[in-house]
Parts: sequence; structure tokens; C-alpha cells
Amino acid sequence: MTLLSALGPGDPMIRVEGITKYYLGATVLDGVTLDIPSGSNLGLMGPGGAGKSLLLKIIAGLVEPDQGRVLVDGHDVGTLDAHKLAQLRFNIGMVFQNYALFDSMNVGENIAFPLRQRGGVPEEEIQARVREQLALVGLPGIAHQYPRELSGGMKKRVSFCRAVIPAPPLLFYDDPTAGLDPVTSSKIFIHLRRMQQDGGTTAITISHDIDGIKPICDRFALLDHGRLVFHGTRDEIEASDDRLVRQFWDGFSDD
Amino acid sequence: MISRGLAAIGGAFNGLAFDVGGVVMMLLKILRRCLPPRADGPETWANLYRVGVKSFPIVLVTAAFTGAIMVIQSGLYIKQYGAEGLLGWGAGYSILREVGPIMIGLMFSGRVGANNTAELGTMMVTDQIDALRALAIDPVSYLVIPRFIAMMIMLTLLVVVGDLTALVGGALTGEVLLGVDTRVYFESIVTLITLQDFLSGVYKAVAFGVAIAVISCHFGLTVRGGAVGVGRAVNNSVVASAIAIFVIDYFMTWAMQ
Amino acid sequence: MSQPAQPGLAGRFLSAIGEPVVYTWREVTGVARMAALVFQYMLRGKIRWDAVAAQMYEIGNKSIVFITFTLGFLGMILVFQAGFQAEKITGDLQLLGALFLQILLREFAPTITALMIATRVGTGIAAEIGSMVVTEQVDAMRMNSAPPVEYLVVPRFIAGTIMMVVLVIYAVLVCYLAGMFTGLYAFNVNPHTFVNFAFVSVLDVAVCLVKALAYGMAIPLVASHTGLRTHGGSAGVGWATTQSVVSCSLSVVILDFILSGLSYPLLAAAG
Ligand SMILES: Nc1ncnc2c1ncn2[C@@H]1O[C@H](COP(=O)(O)OP(=O)(O)OP(=O)(O)O)[C@@H](O)[C@H]1O
Ligand SMILES: [Mg+2]
Repeated sequence: MTLLSALGPGDPMIRVEGITKYYLGATVLDGVTLDIPSGSNLGLMGPGGAGKSLLLKIIAGLVEPDQGRVLVDGHDVGTLDAHKLAQLRFNIGMVFQNYALFDSMNVGENIAFPLRQRGGVPEEEIQARVREQLALVGLPGIAHQYPRELSGGMKKRVSFCRAVIPAPPLLFYDDPTAGLDPVTSSKIFIHLRRMQQDGGTTAITISHDIDGIKPICDRFALLDHGRLVFHGTRDEIEASDDRLVRQFWDGFSDD
Repeated sequence: MISRGLAAIGGAFNGLAFDVGGVVMMLLKILRRCLPPRADGPETWANLYRVGVKSFPIVLVTAAFTGAIMVIQSGLYIKQYGAEGLLGWGAGYSILREVGPIMIGLMFSGRVGANNTAELGTMMVTDQIDALRALAIDPVSYLVIPRFIAMMIMLTLLVVVGDLTALVGGALTGEVLLGVDTRVYFESIVTLITLQDFLSGVYKAVAFGVAIAVISCHFGLTVRGGAVGVGRAVNNSVVASAIAIFVIDYFMTWAMQ
Repeated sequence: MSQPAQPGLAGRFLSAIGEPVVYTWREVTGVARMAALVFQYMLRGKIRWDAVAAQMYEIGNKSIVFITFTLGFLGMILVFQAGFQAEKITGDLQLLGALFLQILLREFAPTITALMIATRVGTGIAAEIGSMVVTEQVDAMRMNSAPPVEYLVVPRFIAGTIMMVVLVIYAVLVCYLAGMFTGLYAFNVNPHTFVNFAFVSVLDVAVCLVKALAYGMAIPLVASHTGLRTHGGSAGVGWATTQSVVSCSLSVVILDFILSGLSYPLLAAAG
């Protein structure tokens, strides 16, 4: 069903090489290069408009970069044919910043969509897993409602359920806790860490909630105006003396 | 089941009444602000320019093809009866009186009317109209009147220019496809087409321009609900404009014989 | 990135002409590629019939009132016009109905119906798909290996093609009846005289159906293509919707010209 891994020994699960992107003459991503080892969770931080969401979409193969390439599981995303790209994407779950729920489907159908697309899961099991996921994020019994009837935070959680329900080995979260209250937000983060520990998933987590991602990520990257300002492990970020890194990591502004 | 059907019909009529009433109200609002005429000068010029630039190329292409098609269709009868001298008149009469204004009006509605609804609608959903009100600027005077004037004048001009383009497109088709000499074609136009034929098309253009302007502004300024709402409003606006064009055309054809 | 130098007047003039040409070329090749993709999916049997049914309702049923209204008025207008024109030359109204039916089939019923559908359905499809693009729903589909062309375009293409043919047949009826009543009340032409199939051949019916088929395939393709190219928030959806009416209407007019031109020698030889 899914694409065979093309990783050599010691290769990172995701390799981003010199990604550059222009929009209307402006450089919105400027030579971004980083590796994400298998089983690690990268926390991607940066001010609004830095290019975080765009980088994630490029890694997912949704947007074509102007320069550079992305290897996911050893495959060059830009050169895979449509069929292989589709198979690769069965390995990826993605939470979009703006939910991206299907208006024409109710919550249950939205969450079941990835399972139905992959096929081979009996209908009763699909229903059971949808119920289980919704209960996990604190939204039991809303399966029959439509996205337009939900609040922003509820949509975010439904979007989270849809991304994780097939238990994919790769997970991309674009601000998974934006607009959530602190209690729900920490529930999501705990759930996220559990999947990481139990399933050994590789993940990228974009978030403005630095304290939220500190305990769940083991690598961090900071993007500013399309440039990668910092990229490294927890120890490295704690030792960094870059001013912007310190502002983000310590959560205060010194000017 | 039945009650649901009735509710749907009721809802549809409710919506229809809202829109018909809204369009009439919009027209009244515009007329009241036109007596005495006062419009924001620069804004009106800017709109005239934008409407013209946007619509001229597409309308002229449409007009040329329309002329060609009408000549092909008339040509079938003309050949049958061997009356080649009537080709210019046969095609020209329908182009000037009916098909020209209708096709140009529909294209104008698709290009300019739809764009206008989308623009005003986007301003609505991003609260820009409320921002104008907060600055004590009347959105109808500031946004609607200049568009109204621009659309009315430009559609009239377009029909005049488009008529000519259609006749030329027809002449070319007649020469190439039907082998009717261009001189014969234009002779029959000059001798048989009356000023009245041409003018009745122009009067229709003025009326279509008013209708498209009022309808597209009404649907633009009543948008609700984000990007989806804007799309829906544009859809409704072009549908209503098409209906208005045919209804107005019928009554004017009937009145101007 | 350095900004390109500001072009001079000649350059601006050239770009004003070149831009629409380039745009049109990209649009045409894009639509052709999408059409090829649609046929591939259909040949592989990847058709979601429930979505097709929903689209048939959306495109067909919801257009009935609109088509009745516009084509009804068109019938009255055309007979009015033809009647006055005939009174002026021959004064003979005997053939009014027969000639009206002929030109209705060859030209007005398919083309005006298609223009109306371009207006209603062309904007609808572009707006719907466009707002799915700007709200990232299309991206979410692609991430779940649900190709947007298979999911969104194929059902609209099939439904649009079928419904266009049905609506054109319906439009012929409506328009003809409206014309008949106009003939009776405005010119005193008896319906028995008006209903006259003498001038209608199989060829006329074929021209009508071929045109309907061509428009029915073109409109959903052009509108979907425009919708999928939407970018940039709610302003982008407005852009897509307007662009769609124009592109769809223009395709109808150009296809009409091509098909009328191609059928002319046939009809002329037969008639
Ligand atoms: N389709 C597009 N067209 C034009 N510009 C774009 C497009 N997509 C992104 N951009 C630009 O790229 C830049 C990065 O956008 P991006 O959405 O990645 O920011 P972000 O880091 O995710 O910000 P936030 O934290 O607010 O979500 C922005 O300046 C944006 O204007
Ligand atoms: Mg973002």
C-alpha cells in the first residue's frame, strides 16, 4: 500500500536542502537547509509571516520551491510521480493552520476521510475509531455536526483528529493548539507526546506556544523572514546566544 | 415532506422578495443622490477608466464573433433564396436590434457586473464598508454612484463600438466563408438599415447598463459570510442580471416597433 | 532580487497585448491537460456516482427556473423580431414558425442556454472550488491522496455534460412554446400554421446536440480549472468567480463560431 522507504543507514527521515521561494519578487524562504532524524519531533518557531507554514507545505509537496529539494523518507518529493507521491502521503498526517475541514462533510465524515481513502478498514471499526478520537480531544458526540457549526478551537481539534486517526509515521502540525484554552491545549500536547513515545513517529510542530512545545520536541528551529536563524538540539538552543533565539526561548523582550 | 417542500418554496419567495425589493431600493437611493447630480469626480473618472479597460477587449472579441455567427446563420437562408444583396441587412438588423445588445450586455455583466459584486462583497466581508460608515462617508454616494455612472456610459459606448465590430466581423465572414462581396454587404446595410434600428439597440444598452449597475451593487453590498458568501453573491448577481437583460429587452422590443 | 527596469511606452503597449495572449494560451493548455486527466480517470472507472448525482441536481434542477425564464423571453423576442422583419419584406407569416424552429435548433437554443449555464454554473463551480482552495481543503485532499481532479472535476464534468444536453432540449421546448404564443397574439399566426417541421432535418437536430455536448464539456472544465487556480483569500474567490464567467462565456462564443462554420457547408448542401 504505502511507499517503501528509500533511506540509507543513518539518513535523516526528512532532509531539506537549500529551499528558496519567491512570491511577487519578494524572497519568502531563503536557502533553508535542515535535517530531521527519524523518531524526532522538530519544534518550528518564528514570528508571524516568517514562512513556517510555507516551509511545511513545501516539505509536504503541496507547494513547489523555486530552488532546493526536499527528501522525505529518502524520496525526492519534487520528482515523485503522482502515484508514488500519493502513496508517500499515506504516511503523512497534517493539521492545517486554518483547519481545512471539508465544508460538505460532517465532522465524522471528515475524520473518517483518511481511513476511507486508504481503504481496507471495516465500517464499524472506522466509526469506533472516530468516536475514540473525538473523545480523546474532549469533543464526544459531535460527529454529526458540520464544520460551519463549530468554533475555531473545536475545528482545530477536529482537524487534529483527522490528521492522527490513521496513525501515520510522519506528522506535520501547523499550530495544533492555536485558539485553544490552556487545559485542552495541554491535553493535545500530552496526546502528541504519547504518540511520539509509543509509535516512534517523526513530527514537525509549528507553534507560538513555546512553553507548550518545550517538553514534547527534541529539536528546534527558528525561522525569521525566510531565513533559518537557528537549528539544533535542546542543549544547543539553551546555549545559543542569538538575540532572537533568546527572546523566543526565554519568552521576554529586552528592548 | 410536504411542509418541508412548502418551507423551501416559501424561503425561495422570501429571498426573491428581499432581492427584488433590495434592487428597487438601491435604484431609489441612487436616483435620490443624483438629484441634484453630485458625484465624486476623481472616483467617477477612475471607474470609467477601469470599467472601460476591463471590458473593451473582451466585448469586442465577443462582438466580432457574434457578427460572424449571425452572418453564417443568415447566410443559410440567403443562399437558399439567392438573395445575396440582403445578407448585410438580414444579419445587421438582428445584430443592431437584438443580438448585439444582448450578447454585449451579457458579457458586460459577466466581466464588469460580476467584478463589481466581488469587489463590493469583499469590502463587506472585510468590514471596509463599516469602516467607511464610521468615517461618516456614505457608501452609496462614494462607491455606488461613480460605478453606476461609469457602467451606464461605458455599456452604451461599448454597444456603439461593438455594433460596428460585429458588422465588420460579419463582413469578413461573408467574404471568406460565403463569398459575398464586402461592398454588396455594406451597401445593403447602408440602404436598408435605418437610424431607428441602430438607436433602439443603443437605448437598450442604456437600460441594461442601469440594470447591471443597480443589481451588481445590491448583491455586492448584501454579502454575508466570508469567501463563500462572496462567491454566492457573484453567482446571484450574474443570474439576476441575465434575467433582467432578457425581460428588459422583451419590453423594449415590444415598445420600439 | 532586483526589480526589473520600468518598461517604456512601447514595452507597456506590447505587454498589454501580449499579456492576454499569454494568459489565454496558458489557460487553453491548462484546460486541455485537465481534460486529458479527466478522461484518464473516467477510463479507469474512477467515477463517484453519488457526487455525480449531487452535481446533476445542482447543475440541472437548480437551473430549470432560470432557463425557463430567460429562454422563454428569448422565444418571445425572436418571434417578435422575425415577425416584424418578415412583415417588412414579404408580408408572409406562413413560414414564421418553421424558420423559427430551424434557427432555434441551429443556433439560439444551444448557445443562449449555454451562456446562461456559463453564468449560473460557471460562477458556481469556480466559487465553490475556489473557496475550497483558499481554505486549504484542496491541500487537505491532496495530503490524503484524493486527487482534486478525480474528486472535484470528474463529477462536475459528467453531470455538466449530461445536464447541458437535457437543458438544451428543454430550452428548445420552452422557447418554441413562448414563440408560438407570441406568434398567435402578436401576429395572429394560428398554432396549426406555426407548428411546422418542414424545414427541420436530422442535420439540424444533430447540430443542436453536438453544440450542446461541446458546451456541456467545456463549461465545467473551464470553470473547474479557474477555481483550482484561485489564490489569495476572499478576494481570490471573487477573482475566480468573475474570471470564470468570462472564460466560460468566451469559450461558448468561440466554440459556436467554430461549430457553426464547420456545419455551414453541410447545412448549405442539404438545404
Ligand atoms: N500563496 C502566496 N502568495 C503570496 N505570498 C505568499 C503566499 N503564501 C505565503 N506567502 C507569503 O509568504 C510569507 C510566509 O507566509 P507563512 O504563511 O508561511 O507565514 P507563517 O510563518 O506561517 O506565519 P504565521 O505564524 O502567521 O502563521 C508571508 O509573507 C506571506 O505573505
Ligand atoms: Mg502559518
